[in-house]
Amino acid sequence: MATPTLVQDTDVEHAVGTIQRGRVVRKGRVLGVTTALALLAFALFVATMMVGSFPVTPWEVIASTFRLGSDPSVDFVVRDLRLPVATTALAVGLAMGVSGLVFQKLLANPLASPDFVGISSGAGLAAVGSIILLNVSAMFVSVAALGGALVAALLIYLLAWRDGITGYRFILIGIGVSELMVALTGYLIARADIFEAREAMTWLVGSVGNAGPTQLRILLVALAVLLPLTLVLNRHLDVLELGDDAAKALGANVERMRLVLLAVAVVLVALATAAAGPLPFVALIAGPIAVRLIGANGSGLVAAAFVGALIVLVADLVAQHVVPVELPTGVVTGAIGAPYLIWLLATVNREGRGG
Amino acid sequence: MTHELRAEDLSLGYGPQDVVSHLDVEIPDGKITVIVGANACGKSTLLRGLARLLAPRTGSVILDGKRVQDLRSVEVARVLGLLPQTPVAPDGITVADLVGRGRYPHQSWFRRWSAEDDAAVAAAMESTGTAELADRPLSALSGGQRQRVWVAMALAQDTDLVLLDEPTTYLDINHQVELLDLLTDLNRRHAKTIVLVLHDLNLACRYADHIIAMKAGAIIREGAPIDVIDAAVVTEVFGLPCEVLPDPVSRTPMIVPRGRHHVPVPESV
Repeated sequence: MATPTLVQDTDVEHAVGTIQRGRVVRKGRVLGVTTALALLAFALFVATMMVGSFPVTPWEVIASTFRLGSDPSVDFVVRDLRLPVATTALAVGLAMGVSGLVFQKLLANPLASPDFVGISSGAGLAAVGSIILLNVSAMFVSVAALGGALVAALLIYLLAWRDGITGYRFILIGIGVSELMVALTGYLIARADIFEAREAMTWLVGSVGNAGPTQLRILLVALAVLLPLTLVLNRHLDVLELGDDAAKALGANVERMRLVLLAVAVVLVALATAAAGPLPFVALIAGPIAVRLIGANGSGLVAAAFVGALIVLVADLVAQHVVPVELPTGVVTGAIGAPYLIWLLATVNREGRGG
Repeated sequence: MTHELRAEDLSLGYGPQDVVSHLDVEIPDGKITVIVGANACGKSTLLRGLARLLAPRTGSVILDGKRVQDLRSVEVARVLGLLPQTPVAPDGITVADLVGRGRYPHQSWFRRWSAEDDAAVAAAMESTGTAELADRPLSALSGGQRQRVWVAMALAQDTDLVLLDEPTTYLDINHQVELLDLLTDLNRRHAKTIVLVLHDLNLACRYADHIIAMKAGAIIREGAPIDVIDAAVVTEVFGLPCEVLPDPVSRTPMIVPRGRHHVPVPESV
């Protein structure tokens, strides 16, 4: 392993070639995997609208979705009954997937997903509080959930602040805040009458069938703005990953960029939770799956979004049509996610990283 | 291009106490400067302060006639780079990707990756001997290779001033010498000003054009090693009774500690 004593121009030219080729190969891999995931997500999106007591062909689904169809009964089933649920599943999955990976990268820990650090439980407390104490409409419940998620995130940020934010402190304080929110939620449910408690529990499990048209529209608008913004901010995320000192030395405005990225991720997960409840584990597992598929070839934010969408679409399909009784989506994502979490905790500790 | 980097009345700290207090220092342009001192003497703190990673409590750091606090961080990053003591490698990152992240200050939201970036990354990898590792994951490399990759990232930043915080920690003696030779190459061939924090006094004396010996947040001595390092200074800075001999290879000062269990062997034996 000799250090070269003289660097030749031809060597540098050769290295430029190697680096350019490597970059093209890596980009190609990212593009390939992401496209495959996107196509798969679209196929599932269509598939969830085909099955049910009134089966529809894929072409009818597509025609009706894009308002090209002419059969009113198909249009009713697809556009009025199934499209809102499928769109919610897609949008919620995209939002949770990208949000989870931003959290994990920003806090440099695979456990740092919003459903772990108290943001989802903040939404849960506010939603349950509004159901039980205020007896309000479904629309207001999701507004409350949005507010609860934002307040929880702000609380964690302020409590974790000490000359800056470190991943560990944010996660530990987030888990503490999460426990507090869960305890308060439990207290509210214990005091509620049986009907309100049932409604609250249903919300807490989470289901893509719960979203109203307004919530869905807000989520879609937020996605249209925030997903591209996340991609623009990705180059800052890339240097924040190197640690605060290295990022500052490279000229990044570390605190501001971290705050902006956290805010984007929090808003995405808060809106998703407001629309469908805190679907457990989606944000936690989407990122690592995407990163594993892409390898060291790129950041995987878009891939994580599509993996999130795939998970929610599959969970919705299973919950509605595969199991004998119809279940809320959250039960299925929980059943998929919990074994992953156990595996993650076991391997993380063995490798001595994170956790 | 010549640069001026100095601190005026600089105080730095983390808790209630100042770690570095009211310090004046100037980094000689185009030279290798090594900061030495006992643990917790403030040498890394001073380096972090010079690289604006710590905000001054008093005084300021001056870069090319302007206070660093008044400059945009990304402008500073095009002139002055720093390799921290423990940078974090993202899981599974490849060598070329990591080195490429050094190009951050030369990019913006509208100016993405360019041919110039490829050239800078290639040159940095070539001069650190890491080009053939380009597509390997960092985690698959040895400690010495990994450290050269981090240096390559700092070089890809393409700054005239390069600051390195204990870059030889965790390296065996062979890799330490190799890395310091590499930094000397960069200094001589590309006229880069290099500032290092080092623990090994003998290597510091050998490689430094200018040495800064610190104790308790203050500078005890600074200058060419041969002029300023003697047994009295080492004893004062490190509290270590020792002999200082000329290094048989470089004629620079070489420190031989006394310890408690050994008596000097008479030369005639």
